[in-house]
Amino acid sequence: MLHLLSKDSLTINALAENFDMSRPAVSKHVKALHNAGFISIQDLGRERHCILKQDGFKALQKWLEYYDQFWGDKLNALGALMDKHHKK
Amino acid sequence: MAKVIQHQLFYPHPPQLVWDYLTKPELMAQWLMQGNIQPVVGHEFTLTAKPMPEMEFDGTFYCKVLEVEPFTKLSYTWQFGPGDGSLYDSTVNWSLTEKDNGTELLLTHNGFETLVNMALFNSMQAGWLQHITKILTILNTEKNGTTPA
Repeated sequence: MLHLLSKDSLTINALAENFDMSRPAVSKHVKALHNAGFISIQDLGRERHCILKQDGFKALQKWLEYYDQFWGDKLNALGALMDKHHKK
Repeated sequence: MAKVIQHQLFYPHPPQLVWDYLTKPELMAQWLMQGNIQPVVGHEFTLTAKPMPEMEFDGTFYCKVLEVEPFTKLSYTWQFGPGDGSLYDSTVNWSLTEKDNGTELLLTHNGFETLVNMALFNSMQAGWLQHITKILTILNTEKNGTTPA
C-alpha cells in the first residue's frame, strides 16, 4: 500500500483495486497506516484520498530539534519565575 | 540521532515548590502552557499551544498521566498531530531530587516511536515495502520490549 502511495496519492477505492481484499479490509489497513502517521487522508469531493507522508526523517529531526529548544526555553522560564516569586 | 530529549537543571527551591509548578494548572500556565493538569494517574488533559502548520501541528498536545510520585516523579503521554486525527506518540517524564537546599529537575522526553517508525518506512527501498507486514511485526515486537528471534 505504501509502495503504491509512494508513486501517487490514491482514493481508497483505487487502492482497493490493487488488492485481493474486501473494501472494509482495505479501509482497516488504511486506518492503521493513518493512525501510525504514515499517510494522511484528505476528503476531496466525495472521495477520500490517501497521501503518503514523505520525508519522515526530516519530520523526526525537526520535532526533536524543536522539543530540545522548547524545553530549554521553558525550563529557564520556570527558574526565572520561581526566583521572582519565591525567596531563595 | 538521539531520540531522547533530556534537560537537567538545578533550582534553588524545594521540590515541593517545583512540584506545584509542574502540577497546578494556574502555575503551569505561567511557564509552560494552559491546560487542566492533575497529578492523578489516568487523568487526561490537553495543553494549548500555537499551531505550527509548517510542522504539521494543530496546536494541541494530548496528555494522559502515567505515573505520579508526589514531589519525586511525574510522567504523562504527550501526543501531537496535524489535526486530522493522526497523532504522534511521546512521553514526558519529570524527576525531582532534593539537593543542596534546592531541587535537581530532570526532564526526559522520549518514546517518539511513531515518528521514528515513519522515518524508517520512508527511508526504505521499494523492495522492502513488499515485506511491510513482516517489518511492522518486528517493530511492534521491539516496541513491546521483547527481542525478536
